[in-house]
This record gives sequence, C-alpha cells and structure tokens, in this order.
Amino acid sequence: MHGYDPAFEKAVAEFLGIYYLGLAALNAGAAYWLWQKLHKVRDAVVWLAVALGFVVLAAVSMGGAPWGLPHGLRELLNTIFTGNRGAVIFTLGSFALLVILFRFRRFFVRPRVAWTILNLSLLYLGLSMTSRPFWEIVAKPDNVPIVALAFLLGFFTWLATYKAVQNDERIKQGLPPLEKEDSEKVLVWPDLVYTELICMLALTAVLLFWAIFIKAPLEQPANRADTPNPSKAPWYFLGLQEMLVYYDPWMAGVVLPTFIILGLMAIPYIDFNKKGNGYYTIEERKFAYSMFQIGFLQLWVVLIILGTFLRGPNWNFFGPYEPWDAHKVLVLNNVNLSEYFWIDLMGMSVPEGILAREWLGIVLLIAYLFLLPPILAATIFRQFFIKMGFIRYMIMIQLLLWMLLLPIKMVLRWTINLKYIIAIPEWFFNF
Amino acid sequence: MAAEEKKKKKMSVAEILAACRKLDSKGDTASQAEQSSGKDQAAASSAKQDSASEESKPATKIPKPGSGKRPSVQEILAMARAEKQKKAAASTSAPPQPSAAKKPVAATKPTPKPQAPAPAAEKPHSSNILAAEEVERKRGPVSKSALEAKTPAKPSPTEKKPAAKAKPVVPPRPTRPPFTKPGKKPDQQRRGFLAVLGVMLGTPLGVGFTSLATTMGLWTLGTLRFMFPNVRIEPPSKFKVGFPSDYPPGYVETKFKTQYAVWIVNAEYNGQQQIAALSTVCTHLGCTPNWLEAEQKFKCPCHGSGFYINGINFEGPAPRPLERYAIRIAEDGQLEVDKSRKFQEEKGQWNDPDSFVPA
Repeated sequence: MHGYDPAFEKAVAEFLGIYYLGLAALNAGAAYWLWQKLHKVRDAVVWLAVALGFVVLAAVSMGGAPWGLPHGLRELLNTIFTGNRGAVIFTLGSFALLVILFRFRRFFVRPRVAWTILNLSLLYLGLSMTSRPFWEIVAKPDNVPIVALAFLLGFFTWLATYKAVQNDERIKQGLPPLEKEDSEKVLVWPDLVYTELICMLALTAVLLFWAIFIKAPLEQPANRADTPNPSKAPWYFLGLQEMLVYYDPWMAGVVLPTFIILGLMAIPYIDFNKKGNGYYTIEERKFAYSMFQIGFLQLWVVLIILGTFLRGPNWNFFGPYEPWDAHKVLVLNNVNLSEYFWIDLMGMSVPEGILAREWLGIVLLIAYLFLLPPILAATIFRQFFIKMGFIRYMIMIQLLLWMLLLPIKMVLRWTINLKYIIAIPEWFFNF
Repeated sequence: MAAEEKKKKKMSVAEILAACRKLDSKGDTASQAEQSSGKDQAAASSAKQDSASEESKPATKIPKPGSGKRPSVQEILAMARAEKQKKAAASTSAPPQPSAAKKPVAATKPTPKPQAPAPAAEKPHSSNILAAEEVERKRGPVSKSALEAKTPAKPSPTEKKPAAKAKPVVPPRPTRPPFTKPGKKPDQQRRGFLAVLGVMLGTPLGVGFTSLATTMGLWTLGTLRFMFPNVRIEPPSKFKVGFPSDYPPGYVETKFKTQYAVWIVNAEYNGQQQIAALSTVCTHLGCTPNWLEAEQKFKCPCHGSGFYINGINFEGPAPRPLERYAIRIAEDGQLEVDKSRKFQEEKGQWNDPDSFVPA
C-alpha cells in the first residue's frame, strides 16, 4: 500500500516471528496443563496442533514474508469503518456484539470457546500488523497500553462472567454461591503477603522490560504554533476527548465528567440491593450489571479503542488499514436543529429571537429530562419506582438519561451532522 | 480486729444491706412489713434477690461489730422511704446516730444518705431506691378527676408535697436593662483598640498569630506584585505585517503564526472583501489549527473543528468563529495589527471598522 520499505518489512517480520512463537508457547502450555493436570488428552492434542500452527507462522514470518490479511478483506474493512458511517457501524456494532456476548454468555464463557476467541483475536492482530498504517498505530509506544487493555479487559470480563454464570447455575439449583463455599479464612502471613510479594515482583519485572524495550514516546519541544496532528489525549482520556467532539467544552469537559464522578459516588446510595455482595452474579443483578457494563465498556472502553484505531489526522475517521492522510476531505458541515427545523422543514429563514429560534430544541430537551422519567416510571421502570421511592428513582433515572445523551448525540452527529440541539452562541450556551 | 475490718470493707453494701435486712426481719417484723408493703417494691425485690444468695455469709459476720451499724443502713432505706420515716425512727433510728459516732467503720456511712456509700456495688441499690421514689412521685393522676379523687385520700403525704408543688411557679422575669445607644462612648472605643492591641501582642500566642498573619499578608502582597513584572519579555502587541497590496483576495499569510499567533487573511465577509487578522487559537479548546490550502479551510487537529477562510466555523465542535484582532493602516501605509483588542463575530463585533481593512 505504501510501497516497499525494507526497514519496515524487517521490523514487522522480526516482531511477528517472536509474537507467533509466544502464541505457540501459550498454546503449548495450555495443552500441557490440560494433559497433565486435567487429563483431557483430546483437548491437549487440539491445542498442541494450534501451537504447531503458530510455530509454522513464526517460521514464515522470520523468513521475511509474514502472512497478512488478504488485500480484499483489508479494503473491505477500510470501507466499512471509514468516515462517519464507519463510526456508526463501529459503535453500534460493538454494542450489538456486547449484547450478543451478554445474551449468550453461557456459551461464550466456556473455557474452550473463550480460549478459541482469544487465539483468533491474537491471530487477527498478528495478521493485521503487516499493514503499515495498522502497525504504526499498534506499535506506537503510546498505544501499547491500549492493546494490552483490550486483552486484559477481555480476560477479566470473561473471568467475572464465568464465575457469575457458575454462581447463577448454583443459585438456580438452590446452592450457595461458590464464594461462600470456599470462604475459609486464609492467614495474612504468609499466604496473602507472599501472594502480594510475587505480584509485586512480577509487575516490577514487566515494567522493567517495558521500559527497556519500548522507548518513551517523547516528542519535539512544545510549540504553541504547532499542534501535533492528530493530537490525542492520554489513552485513558480518549473517551473524554471523543465526548468533547459532540458537546460544548463546558458540557463535555465539566458537566458530564462531574456527573460521571457524582454518579459513581451515588451508586451505593441508589442501589441498595444486597444481592451480589461478595459474590459474582448476573441473573440477580441484570439491570445493575448491564447498566454498568454499558457505561464502562461501551461508553468508555469502546470510545478509547475508537479514538486509538479510527481517529486520524484532523480528527477524521479513518479505516483501520487506511493510511493517515492529513488532506483527506470529509463532508462534515454541521447543522443545528433550529436550522433543520426552520430552513429545511418550514422552508423559511431562521427567526431572530433566541426563544423563537430554539424553541424546538428546548422543548425536546425538557421533555427528555423531565417528561420521560415519569413516563418510564409508569411503564418500564414501574417496579423500580415502587421499590426505590421517588428521590432514589429520580436520581437514578436522571443519571441514566444524562449518560445516554452522549451516544444519542454521537449517532445524530454522525448520521445527520447535527451540531447542536439548542444553539445559543450569544450566551455561550450550546447543547 | 484488723482482719475483721478488712473483711468488712470487702463486703459490698448490697451485702451489708441484705444482712441488715435479715437482722431486721429477725428482730423487727414491723420493718419487714414495711419493706414488702407497696412503696418501693422494685427496690425491695431486687434487694431480696441479692440477699437470697448471700444471706448466710454476711449474716454471721455482721452482728459482732455491727450492732451499731445495722440501724445506720436501715436509715438509708428509711430516708428513701420518706413517708414512713416517723415509724422507722420510732422503732430503730434513735440509737443509730450515737452508735455511728462510736464505730469507726460505720462512721463513713451513716448520716449523709447517698454520698457516703462510695463503693460501686452500692450504686444500683441506692439508685433503685431513688428510682422507686421517683416512680412514686410520678405515679400521679392522669386526669383531673383522678387527681381530685386521690388528693383527699392522702392527707399525710401532703406535708411533703408542697415543696414539689412550689416548683412550677414561674420566677419573676428579670428586668430588662435600659437600651444603650451604640457608638456613643469614644472612651470605650479607644480602650477597645488598646484591648485589641493587647490581645494581638499581649500573650506569646497572640504575638505568634499576629506575626503569622502579618507574614501571610506580606506573602500575598508579594505574590500580587509578582503578577506585574517590571519587564515583560513577549512580542509587542502592535506589529506591522506589510502593505495591503501584499494580500490578494483569497490569500492566507501563515508566516506570522509562529511568532505572533496570527493569520492575515483577505477574505469575503458579509459580501465585502476584507483584510483581517485572525487569532490562531481554536475557539473550542485552544489548540492551534492548521491552514489547509487545498481544502481552503483551517482545521484543528485536536477535535476536528473546521473554519472557512474568513474564520467562520462550519464543522467539528468549535462553537464560534475564530477571533479577529484589531487591524489598521498605519501612517507609513503598512498594515498594523493590535493584539490587545479582539473582535468576536457572534457578538457582532466584526462590523466594527477597527476589525478589518477593506481590500
């Protein structure tokens, strides 16, 4: 795509050789463990075969011509995930994926299935790296923790879901949760302290190797006149940076983060359900679980991945294998709701007065924030409202509605280029 | 004798009382009757429970030294049961006071009713007595008719009740001091100043806090002074950017971006071709956009805000157009930008003739 660059080809080939060897070792270790500890010979043979496959991939990569994704597939993924439509597909697609994972969690948490998914995603990552634009994203020192985050988060989410599914099965059978079964006391010394010591040593070792092998992402001296392009926030703030694209700075930078913090602080007071204390469960806490996962996985982690892999120069959307072209032109002319209403729908010019101009947006927002809660209380959240009482319910529903404002506005921006629902630049009040 | 005394001291008052009561019951049946009769049933019953277990031990030891002691404890009970004092005094309390003086051990306990028995074990007992007393006092009639029914029935207690009845009498309201008009005493004010000075410097603590406050105040003043340096090393707010003929229509000069953070543009605004100085600060969050010649727009790399050549925002999150600085044609015919004044489009300030030079 970029033309032949021997230095790049060599670096990728070397890295992928080691990468695939690591994957082979991982699978061989799993096979050994299955064979020796669990005595599942058939499974062990399968994973050993997978390990051998990775060894072959490693050999090919070290030979200098690592296999990559077929060109057609790359192009297809690029066209799917580029531009605003790509953002919509990515966001809604990841949401659909989360819903599917949640719905069929009993299937996906099976160790065999989970291990297969892990192998496939690692293989996909390896095959993608032969694409230079992708390699430059993944291999950037800034982004290494993001790739690690994706896999670590996947692992821990799997672990929690696995335990929750087990517990739910047990609860259904009338048994106490697993955590209650092995709630025997363990000594702080030596049991806990030794575990902590080992964790400390392992973490220090990881940090040391990280520091030695991956150079610090230092940049040129700061220059007021030259902002790096693209200029990305630290990885943990990419969600916040994404938020800032859709709402005004005072909203996305001050009000919404304050709501996030206050909302997290308020959870223990809103959610007084004792179920799930001290053990994993999903069945008993479906609403709480799914709301938290939407807030965390969908509205934070997915946005981090979006900001890392799809956002390019000038903060435009690029496909994952698309070269970052600073002169890519996308049609992004933003239109306010009032302009949509007055010019497009009514076919007249926008009125002068602020209220006359923006009444539709104001009415919509008021209806969303103040009319929707009672309607929901009377319908979907009827049981919640009865159980929680007025104040608790209102706080909960307001936090929920404010949380959902973000994806709503994002999708509206991407699909119809909606800029502001209420636009009052005269007072610096835009919503 | 000494050993016996020690043993006596070890005995709790409850035990002593129990022993006494036993003696009473042996010698004086009348007092026994008193105890069981109505008044302090709570106290009596608790005392009995105590005595039931420990009757035998103390009973043997008390008699020798305690012939004088017995009535003194009896007196405690008797005083608690105020109504029966006469009877009790008639039967037993005549001897106790002299005997209390004789015996050294008993001397600590006799006359002062509640204070003298110091040990903790005594407390529940005396409090029981007092509580019973209290209950009795409070066990008053609920309704008026009940009160009337009760008052004639008890002629004798009325001797003591008056004191209780006298309590609710409202004391006379204290006379209000005459109203003093404020600020009419210069002498006192001067003295007040001296007093403040005394508080500030009179004690070591005062001196300490005063000097602390002074130091902090000086620090604050020094910090304020620091905000206004004698020399400011920054480009002048007024600078010349060449002649208007250097800027053909549709031209964007980016060479002043690094030093002055300004673009000089010749663009159309409101149907008029104008030369203006645009600030290079994005109105979204203050990054520096780039001029993209091919796309004819300013594009911010941070969040993707886009501005037309004349500075009007059209894409991305920027809520308002770029800002203009004041520009004029100086005496020598060059354009002069004044960064100390800025003009915001959304406030209608771009119509100000100082914000542009017609091209």
